[in-house]
Amino acid sequence: MKPRKDLLTIESLSDEEIHTILDSAVAMKEIFTKSVKKVPTLRGKSVLTLFYEPSTRTRSSFEVAAHRLSADVTTFTLSTSSVVKGESVHDTIDTLMSMKMDYIIVRHKNSGIPAVIARHCHASVINAGDGAHAHPSQAFLDAFTIREKYGEVVNKRVVVIGDILHSRVARSTSVILRRLGAQVAYMGPGSLVPPSSHTGIPRLRDWDEIFAWKPDVIYLLRVQNERIESPFFPVADYHHAYGVTEERLRRIDAQDISIMHPGPVNRGVELCDAAMDYRNCLVCNQVENGIAARMSILYHLTPATLS
Amino acid sequence: MTNSFITNATWAISGQKVHLQLGKAGNSVKLNADTAATDQVRGMIPAEDGNLPEGMRTIDATGKLILPALFDLHTHIEIPGRSKRECIMRAGEAAIHGGVWGMLVLPSSSFCFDNSASLDSFREAVEARSAAEMVPCGCITLGMQGEQQAPYNTLATTRDITILCDGDHAPQNLLLLYRAMQYAVDLGLTFAVRADVPALTTHTYVHPGSTAYRLGLHPCPPCAEEIGTETLLRIAESTGAKLHLQLVSTAESVRIIRRAKERGVQVTAEVALHHLLYTHEDIGDYNTVYKTIPPLRDKIDCEALLEGVKDGTIDCIVSAHTPCTPFAKKQDFINAPEGMVGLDTMLPALYTKLVKPGLLSWEELVQACCVKPALIARPWEQEEGATCEVPLLLFDPTTEMEVDETILACGTLNTPLLGETLCGKVTLPLQ
Repeated sequence: MKPRKDLLTIESLSDEEIHTILDSAVAMKEIFTKSVKKVPTLRGKSVLTLFYEPSTRTRSSFEVAAHRLSADVTTFTLSTSSVVKGESVHDTIDTLMSMKMDYIIVRHKNSGIPAVIARHCHASVINAGDGAHAHPSQAFLDAFTIREKYGEVVNKRVVVIGDILHSRVARSTSVILRRLGAQVAYMGPGSLVPPSSHTGIPRLRDWDEIFAWKPDVIYLLRVQNERIESPFFPVADYHHAYGVTEERLRRIDAQDISIMHPGPVNRGVELCDAAMDYRNCLVCNQVENGIAARMSILYHLTPATLS
Repeated sequence: MTNSFITNATWAISGQKVHLQLGKAGNSVKLNADTAATDQVRGMIPAEDGNLPEGMRTIDATGKLILPALFDLHTHIEIPGRSKRECIMRAGEAAIHGGVWGMLVLPSSSFCFDNSASLDSFREAVEARSAAEMVPCGCITLGMQGEQQAPYNTLATTRDITILCDGDHAPQNLLLLYRAMQYAVDLGLTFAVRADVPALTTHTYVHPGSTAYRLGLHPCPPCAEEIGTETLLRIAESTGAKLHLQLVSTAESVRIIRRAKERGVQVTAEVALHHLLYTHEDIGDYNTVYKTIPPLRDKIDCEALLEGVKDGTIDCIVSAHTPCTPFAKKQDFINAPEGMVGLDTMLPALYTKLVKPGLLSWEELVQACCVKPALIARPWEQEEGATCEVPLLLFDPTTEMEVDETILACGTLNTPLLGETLCGKVTLPLQ
């Protein structure tokens, strides 16, 4: 397999690479059961987390993953950096290149920024979420979680519910699941689900259509109020129309469907309280698998600084 | 100057073979409000074999064309970070390369034509430095801020301004625009405006479609332009003002303009060459060269726009020349500025992409790029029935040129044609 420098999108990966990363994530997860949860794979390598957008879960997941591979991790903190002094992304990249980092994990509110950084620096760039574009490490952990639950992803039916328009998770996760042979459908408010002629993914109208479609997994997206500049839907309607209510949870249970969510969950909006304790709720598995998937991603990439 | 005969050239407008006698006053064509007919080409005489008057030379124009040079109704000449003098010089040089003899210069922050002094200093600089004619476009509002009307009575009566424009953004205050149009009717001024509803298009970057979804970029709904088009047409119709719609980009806008023309609204319209040639799919993986305003649309829009050019609904094709520095275009798609440069490559690109594949005839090209834009801009005396002398150019469609840094005189490289090979070589002026 050709060495890969960056992970920017799922689309850019070959089928072989997707399978390799998922397979080695299994091996990485085995490390968690040991008393010493650390391997020397990336000893002496430097990892920088560059988050232009607030994030706790993804960032700490990457940091834990890097630590478990024995890498040295530096955190670029936005509020104290020169970014607030008006430094352009390009000048920040030049600064980072001078620091000779091996891996840069970047999140930015603008779609396409990680690609700009990757083009201009030797370090391996991992896209930890850019605008509404892509979130490939989330896609890997989601695929990994489904594969772990069902043994395989092929022919599984997954319906993604909510704000597709603003969601990089929906984009990347639906791409990886379809590449692995799953069927994906979208459901959500008309103002937040682009037409299927744009997405190439069928749109289900309501919960009745979802249950009739017989999904294996219901994947709820977070309502991202912080990303929405003007109202796309009446907030008071959301739980009633698109959320997992207690009544819907009973039907979900009856059909033995799994529930996933990228977190953090807005209780009472996407999910009722009871859904978090539901036997097939995979939210915590996703978090744990996120570390294994990110270790596997770091392991898979080869910075140009090393070649 | 030695007079010359040109032999065996094809005259684009009539399609018949003619011979031109060239001299100081010979190499031009007269335009008036109706047409640019063949017999108005000065100095054009039938040449007979072996009948070469003494003291004249013969230029062999076999397989070449003689055309009136192009006029470009939509150019931004400001190059960020460069002096005004350099901007004027480079745009003039680029225009001559592309077969463009004159251009309408839209106001910008450096060239804010809302007062007589800025127009005077601009014209002086053009006189001294530009190889091409540059017609300044007066501001609608002071500083293009959309708040107070610019003194365009003064600009029109003392500085020969004929077109008003606030850059790429129309005043959002419709009452102001309505009154401005009422006021400007008596002056015979044309309002050049791009139709838009900013509430629908703020923070949007691409046409709604597979590219917007794939790249996670906010889509710019075409209905914003179409609502804006209807609005502007209604205001123009109601006030009797002359309206020129800039950068028409959607199929429905073309239909709206067609209906308005049928009912007699005084409206003309333009399309940028890139809206005829490219779609949102060309953006690929965030290629900022293809970031334009309005955004590149769908294939059906390109087809409808071309149809509009052919049937005269769209009067002109423009370059929408907008220099952007390499650093600015190297930014991410959301932060990068909109625009492409097009003056340097205008006629070769029109020929290679539209005429050669049979999508546009030479006659249609001459109407859309030479005759109608010059008549809309009227870069000459304003009396009724006045005519304009347009220089002629010689076009050799067989010569190929690769678009690279050495041939782009405009000062920046933001064109998707960079690295492509275009057919056609322009000789302008022809003498």
